[in-house]
Amino acid sequence: MDETTKQKLLDVMKSKLNRQLLYYLDVCAKCGACKDACHIYRATGKAELVPSHRADLLRRLYRRHFTSAGRVFPSLYEATDLSDQLLDEMYQAAFTCTGCRRCMVYCPFGIDLTWVIGVEKAMLSAVGKVPEELNMLADAAIEKGNSIDLYREIMQDQIRSLEPELRELTGMPDATIPMGKKGARVLYVALAGTGSILPPAVIFNLAGEDWTLSEFEAANYGYFLGDTARAARIAERIVNEAKELGVEEVVLTECGHAYRVMKHLDEVWSKQKFPFKVLSVFEPWARYLKEGRVKVLRPIAEPATYHDPCQLGRNGGIYEEPREVVKAICTDFRDMTPNREKNWCCGGGGGLVAQTDLEEFRADTGLVKAEQVRATGARIAATPCENCRLQLALLNERYHLGVEVVAVTDLLVRAVAPGALRKPEQEPRETAREQEASA
Amino acid sequence: MSDEFKVDLKLDLKGLACPLPVVRVSKAIKDIPLGGVIEAVATDPGALADFPAWAKTSGNEILKTERSGAELKFYIKRVK
Repeated sequence: MDETTKQKLLDVMKSKLNRQLLYYLDVCAKCGACKDACHIYRATGKAELVPSHRADLLRRLYRRHFTSAGRVFPSLYEATDLSDQLLDEMYQAAFTCTGCRRCMVYCPFGIDLTWVIGVEKAMLSAVGKVPEELNMLADAAIEKGNSIDLYREIMQDQIRSLEPELRELTGMPDATIPMGKKGARVLYVALAGTGSILPPAVIFNLAGEDWTLSEFEAANYGYFLGDTARAARIAERIVNEAKELGVEEVVLTECGHAYRVMKHLDEVWSKQKFPFKVLSVFEPWARYLKEGRVKVLRPIAEPATYHDPCQLGRNGGIYEEPREVVKAICTDFRDMTPNREKNWCCGGGGGLVAQTDLEEFRADTGLVKAEQVRATGARIAATPCENCRLQLALLNERYHLGVEVVAVTDLLVRAVAPGALRKPEQEPRETAREQEASA
Repeated sequence: MSDEFKVDLKLDLKGLACPLPVVRVSKAIKDIPLGGVIEAVATDPGALADFPAWAKTSGNEILKTERSGAELKFYIKRVK
């Protein structure tokens, strides 16, 4: 490793050494509680994949370069110098962790190991040692923000082509998908696909909401890289749009990390207080159902379960609203055990589904989640996060679970959209895994 | 296939969930020779801005975009 690279890595590390990180690096007793909480260690039994070991790589560096004892007696204090080998280990440790934070729930000292791993990611990002796919997606998202003026009209035209289907589903001849509507109450931020635009548009129209669709997708690949500067630039596109339109609420689609970034992180990164509220899409959905603004026309009788995405639930605090929605439309709801903050990660988070070479790893490490789903006896597995759906679809195929993996809003549309009732047999949506296989 | 370009690889990206369309193209472009062309069909409205943004940052070139109803067809030339 050359001196410039070494110095760059140490500079980033130094900039991240706040009180919180120092506490995490100092107090870990290596008790092993985190290993039993980690779905990856449970499935693989590999010591290098124990959460505390992933963080220990940074701890050894900290001791070697930032403590007197580690500088003078490195071998006595488990201190290690920076090297290419250590950087390779750090890459494996950082980018095979889903960032689910289940280990933190079980840690007696409350150590947020994903915070430590986030610092490792930031260091790796600074020297360009990051997964190619995540890097590419982050750069493309920033470029899209820079050049949106070139594509605005043609994109709006394409969105309008969805409106005939929207009108059929809602039974409302004037149903629309507005974009760029100044003074709208709600800015809805979808993902790139039609699947996260059309079903929410059905619900917003049925509820009579004053809304407008964002020009940008909610996903933030800068966040997965641990690169807070790039993550903030990606989020900035939505923040600026919301300010220009003067909306009261920014409603994030069914995406765990996107909600967490906007709700809990970006105000800190961008050092500002947003002049709007940030909500998960389940908050308005649950409210509309309670207020009778959308009505359940056809309850779903098949046994259904709900998977808490780690970023939305444990890390975002949204547990009850999506359950309220599923319980309102499914007559046989079966919660998984454990659930909410102790729910098992499915194995697809942290940007792992975008790394195509990790598919086998994901299938293996999702075993505990597959067992959880099977134990419910459910035929429908509803979950909000698109990463979770891709992963659950993979597990469905690998472990023959026999469930339909579906977005909560898709399920809601089936139960409340008048147009959905006109079809005698509701065709299940093609799962993401099937989509991938046929691509 | 377009009459204007010799297509080396066709990709059906219709209905794919985020972020697979761009990831697929990004992977597949390494399987064709420099100067080769991918024909990619997508249905996501966002692809209209996503693909040009990816092409610009990756140093490749969108030769042409065709729209037919909900379907979007991109002809992408491998430059790098």
